[in-house]
Amino acid sequence: MNWIRVLLTRCAALFRSKKLDADLDEELRAHIDLAIEENRGRGMNERQARIAALRAFGGITQIRETYRLQRGLPQFEQAARDIRYAVRQLRRSPGFALTAILTLALGIGAATSVFSVVNAVLLKPFAFRDPDRLVVIRELQEEVRKESIPDNYRHFLRLKKAASTLEDAAIFQQSGLSVSPSGEHPRVVGAVSSSPNLFSLLGVQPILGRGLVDSDAQKSAGSVVVLSYEGWQTFFAGDRKVIGQTLRIAGQPTTVIGVLPSGVRLPRIALAPKIAFQEAARETLLFQPLVPSERDLNVDSGNFNYKVIARLKPGVTLPQASAELEALQNAYTFSAHLSVRLGIALTPLAKDVTSGISGTLWLLFAAVGALLLIACVNLANLQLARAVNAERETAVRAALGASRGQLVRSRLTESLVLACAGGAAGTALAFSGVRFLIALAPANIPRLDEVKVSLPVLLFSAGLSIAAAIAFGILPALRSIRVPPQAALQANSTRAANTQESHRTRGLMVDAQVACTVVLLIVTSLALRSFSHLMRQNRGFDSSHVTLAQVDLFAPQYGDFSTTTNTAKLGFADRALAALDQLPGVQSVAVTSAMPLAGENWVDSLSRPDHPVPVAEQPLINARFIDPDYLPTMQISLVSGRNIAATDRANPYVALISQRTAREAFPGEDPLGKKIDPIAPDDNHPVTVIGVVADTNINGLRDTAAMVYVPYWTFTPWTLSFLVRSSQPTDALIPEMRRTIWQIDPQVAIPTLKSMDDQISDSVAADRFQAMVLSGFGATALLLALLGVYGVLAYSVTLRRQEFGIRIALGSGKSALIGLVLRQAAQPVLLGIGAGITMALIALHWVRSLLYQTPVLDPLAVGGSVLLLLVAAAIAAIVPARRAASTDPMRALRAE
Amino acid sequence: MPKSKSDVLQGTLDLMVLKTLESMGPLHGYGIARRIEQVSENTVSLNQGTIYPALLRLEQRTWVKAEWGTSETGRRAKLYSLTRSGRKQIEQETEDWERVAATMARFLSPSN
Repeated sequence: MNWIRVLLTRCAALFRSKKLDADLDEELRAHIDLAIEENRGRGMNERQARIAALRAFGGITQIRETYRLQRGLPQFEQAARDIRYAVRQLRRSPGFALTAILTLALGIGAATSVFSVVNAVLLKPFAFRDPDRLVVIRELQEEVRKESIPDNYRHFLRLKKAASTLEDAAIFQQSGLSVSPSGEHPRVVGAVSSSPNLFSLLGVQPILGRGLVDSDAQKSAGSVVVLSYEGWQTFFAGDRKVIGQTLRIAGQPTTVIGVLPSGVRLPRIALAPKIAFQEAARETLLFQPLVPSERDLNVDSGNFNYKVIARLKPGVTLPQASAELEALQNAYTFSAHLSVRLGIALTPLAKDVTSGISGTLWLLFAAVGALLLIACVNLANLQLARAVNAERETAVRAALGASRGQLVRSRLTESLVLACAGGAAGTALAFSGVRFLIALAPANIPRLDEVKVSLPVLLFSAGLSIAAAIAFGILPALRSIRVPPQAALQANSTRAANTQESHRTRGLMVDAQVACTVVLLIVTSLALRSFSHLMRQNRGFDSSHVTLAQVDLFAPQYGDFSTTTNTAKLGFADRALAALDQLPGVQSVAVTSAMPLAGENWVDSLSRPDHPVPVAEQPLINARFIDPDYLPTMQISLVSGRNIAATDRANPYVALISQRTAREAFPGEDPLGKKIDPIAPDDNHPVTVIGVVADTNINGLRDTAAMVYVPYWTFTPWTLSFLVRSSQPTDALIPEMRRTIWQIDPQVAIPTLKSMDDQISDSVAADRFQAMVLSGFGATALLLALLGVYGVLAYSVTLRRQEFGIRIALGSGKSALIGLVLRQAAQPVLLGIGAGITMALIALHWVRSLLYQTPVLDPLAVGGSVLLLLVAAAIAAIVPARRAASTDPMRALRAE
Repeated sequence: MPKSKSDVLQGTLDLMVLKTLESMGPLHGYGIARRIEQVSENTVSLNQGTIYPALLRLEQRTWVKAEWGTSETGRRAKLYSLTRSGRKQIEQETEDWERVAATMARFLSPSN
């Protein structure tokens, strides 16, 4: 450890150099004095003695210098000198310094902001024990479709018992539950009901009380709840005596038995890839035991309603676990004579949670990387021009004995100073950038609340600054040592500078910049085209002037899930419809069982009593329970047959189907009058198709839904969505609707109340986020490319002033000169566009999945991007071109 | 300058300084330099000043320590003395040096 001590004393010496210098001087004086004394003792006179002493000593100045080098940190002092020099140089050209720092700050700020989102959402491990070993398990019905489906309770029990590759597995549901803390109107919060082993599986210990135990999941057990840290803060304001207190959950007094540590958040796990609920943004505050029902324990086909998370045994790989579970499922299919072959789908937890957004985030990250690259090329160009300007000075330094290393270092130091300043400003910018991104981002991005500028983010930003400095500083730095001093000193410096070679280098940089910009512009315009297509296509319904209220009837007066009685819920729905209809300006009011644009919901396979087919061939449909005014309120057109009418109430076993359902369930037949098997739970009346309605994208703008609509008289679910079409503005309507609903029953929760337009807009939040952020990046890239082309051209025009002067003197016309400069500009731009399109062809392959019904070679997007870039380049070129044309020949020639 | 004087071999100065301090006890820079000159019987051309960076190097490695004191003639001077790790270093370097010297001697001996 000797070198550490040496380093420390050397560092310490840096701060006491005055005192140490004085010490050394005194010591050396003592040396000379002692030598003189001895010499005099040998009989020399004073003068001879001094001369002899000094001669024996050697060069005092050299010794002092060597001593100082030995004492301090010469590299450090050299670096400090380089930095001082660089700062001085930069202060002499504040315009350049400011441009460079600003460009870098924007680039690094944007990259850091995006990275902090990428880091929190995609890279940071979950706060669970060994999160790498956690997997989400879903089932497959292999003949039905390739997409995985949620889990069946019985299948889960079998797999958990038999699987040897799994350490543990927990089954759970995530939902919204209404909580009324103290007689207020209830609010709906995120809740998990799970098998009691969930916490031990995740490796989570409660900070207060206890976790769930097996006896909590018995039917006879009293209802208990474990609160998340946030739940504890929300409902009990962090009271440490919370254990044993009660909380009204869905109207039931429930005993609090434990509190989880802060930072423990169970991410929202989708039931199936296509079933993505919008209320996903709700944070989980409550954890309750899952008490299996009779149906859970007995039903083997159907009842795929659960999510399963499992922990792999140490050393077990995903394919190994998959293979074992697949074999178990297949064996069970065979032994239980199931009609559908069961399969299994395992996804690592982190991948599963972010599957919906990771593509977009990586795309944005790549885009911001390209942006930073463009910025660096811009700066490299500026630095190169500066290095060429400073060639004379470099040559003088080289002639005076500066080593190549010193020359490169002093140039690189300048870039490093710029990068550090830019990086610092960029990091500061990133703090607001992150807030901006969070505000812009769709609320259902998992772990969005964990996004912040953290240590890894800061390290990333610092690393990026240094990388940027090297990226834009190395070329100019290396260039500076290739100049032979005599050449630079002899010739007129600007002529020496404007060599063919440096010209080519700058052209190449413009190429690279234009190519990156073209790729970014094409991707951006494709995202915009895709988004506009998504928003403008025919949806099959009209959302304007419609306001949406979602109501949760989770209260004892509406019965629990085991009761089949409909009366209380039906009564509420009837009263609410009538009351809402009385509001001023209302044209029509409707009710439906699922919030529009909230993903697939109530997915069932459709079977026909007159035409039985194997389960595997039954089409999957979304069931909705509606009233007669649903079609007029949503303005969904009737294709054939008739709408549900009030007169059907006495005999409500009728259904409307959408065109897609008609195509899939009744191919080549007229569905009107045909019967389908019961849709409502615990019902055994087949329903008769009375009408076919137009296809709509009611569950999400990306997909045409296969629907079956049944009157709410047959079954009224606990969650209802009321739709009000009114001439009143939504803002005025919202408080009226809330008041009306709570007048009927103050104990129902209203988790959603907003205009239908807002609901649509929220449903495409991820697409909009992608399009908006990309647009920002694309516009910035265009601006940077414009600056780059301008900078290079303006510089070269300045260098060629004499040439232009001579051309004009020899009779060249202005337009000819403008043409000359434009041609010079055109070459690298066109080359860059070519390279950009080629790169885009490769990159787009990967972007395809993020686009909605937009071909990656969309002519408008590609052509538009190229045209936009050409126009920008022309604008950037025309200014220097005109300056070239207006050269005064006399002055240009005299300047020589 | 007579040809027979040779420059101090890189790395040997440290050992000379340490050895001097071992035999003489605490001593100032001038004394060390004179002693080296005397012991080498003026065959080594030593710019006396070069002793100081060497002393600093040894001090940084904690093989010697320095204190202000007075010389034998009563002048204030910085006195250097050997530390415990310095003594250990002498053994180490002596061993190394002897090995190198022996190797060289074998190459240079006429029998080869």
